[in-house]
Amino acid sequence: MSSHATDPLQTALDALYLPGPGQAATTRAQARLAQVLAAQARPAAEAWYDILPHSAIGAVFVGVTRRGLCAVRFGLSERQFVAALRQETGALPVRSPERAGAAAQQVGEYLAGRRTAFDVPVDLSRMTAFQQQVLLAACQIPRGQVRTYSDLARQIGRPKAARAVGQALGSNPVPIVVPCHRVLAADGSLRGYSGGGGIVTKERLLRLEGVRG
Amino acid sequence: MLEFDALVSAHSAAIFAYLWRMLRDSADAEDCLQDTFLRAYRAYGRLKGHTNPRAWLYRIATNVARTRLKQRSREALRTVALAPDLAAAGRGPAEQASHNALLAAVDAAVDALPHHQRAALILRQYQGLDYAQVAAILECSPESARASVYQAMKKLRAAMEAGDWMPDAGSGSKLQSPSSSLQVPLNGVPYVLSRH
Repeated sequence: MSSHATDPLQTALDALYLPGPGQAATTRAQARLAQVLAAQARPAAEAWYDILPHSAIGAVFVGVTRRGLCAVRFGLSERQFVAALRQETGALPVRSPERAGAAAQQVGEYLAGRRTAFDVPVDLSRMTAFQQQVLLAACQIPRGQVRTYSDLARQIGRPKAARAVGQALGSNPVPIVVPCHRVLAADGSLRGYSGGGGIVTKERLLRLEGVRG
Repeated sequence: MLEFDALVSAHSAAIFAYLWRMLRDSADAEDCLQDTFLRAYRAYGRLKGHTNPRAWLYRIATNVARTRLKQRSREALRTVALAPDLAAAGRGPAEQASHNALLAAVDAAVDALPHHQRAALILRQYQGLDYAQVAAILECSPESARASVYQAMKKLRAAMEAGDWMPDAGSGSKLQSPSSSLQVPLNGVPYVLSRH
């Protein structure tokens, strides 16, 4: 950046400032910054859960943090659920009907056909920006309707990202509450379901909503 | 907070380089980088609709650096490390000592600049920004940004021409004040500059 290579002042300034911090220091600083910001996003590492033992799709596990509902799982054991929740939140999960009971109750009512919409805060803070966008778009699909992966891709302004939308839906940590089961392949086939129990569960949920005979 | 991560990945390297140049110390720059982005994170809601997030981040970084420099000016000593290969490039011991003394003198003269001028100089000459961009960061007119850089260079040149940095053949330093001393080891790195 020196335009006066022979100017001793400019030469001295260049010697002091031109090299910059270097790649190694920059990479380290960025990594530590990322840690600090991540801790900011997750101030309290605490997690609670509750269990619905006998729903229409078997035992359902519900996990919450201070930010809201962060996990809905079925088709696994309590031990497996607790291990997964611990890994995701970094906290040792504690069974607490007091903390997680309200969310569990809503899921139970929904599965029993007594509830059509959810009213719980959802914690998507560990999702990437794109995943959050896709999951929020899925929340816009009303009960009793379905969309295709391409529909959702267009809706979030990324018409070519249908496959990535499918992947983001597959990462949905709170199935049922974020209704990723309402998103189908373009030919109407169920395609896949990561919520537990595979496409059998997906079909069951859609039937519950009156979409499939 | 959907886009805050994008802001971090787009600008953190440049902001870190800026802080490093303002502070000339990796650990300080690292702390200030975190401070800058934490402040940005907390104020992010107020940024909505802001057209120039880069200028906004640089402005926060400039303020954070000012605070750190004020804290540091109360400390009696600090060490300045020079890259050995840079310092040693094709110089004999005497030349090397003279070069180090020059760098130390320029470093001290930059330290003595008003914060606004120091920031303007570094932003313009070493962060690859034009006067309009510097002005957006420092919240002044482009003319004023240009004048700040000009004033900074004028002061640095005056400090250099005062010649205090020229190493004396006998003592190694001609600095007069009893409170200041300059130790320049012949191998170049690092040296200690006592500040007044």
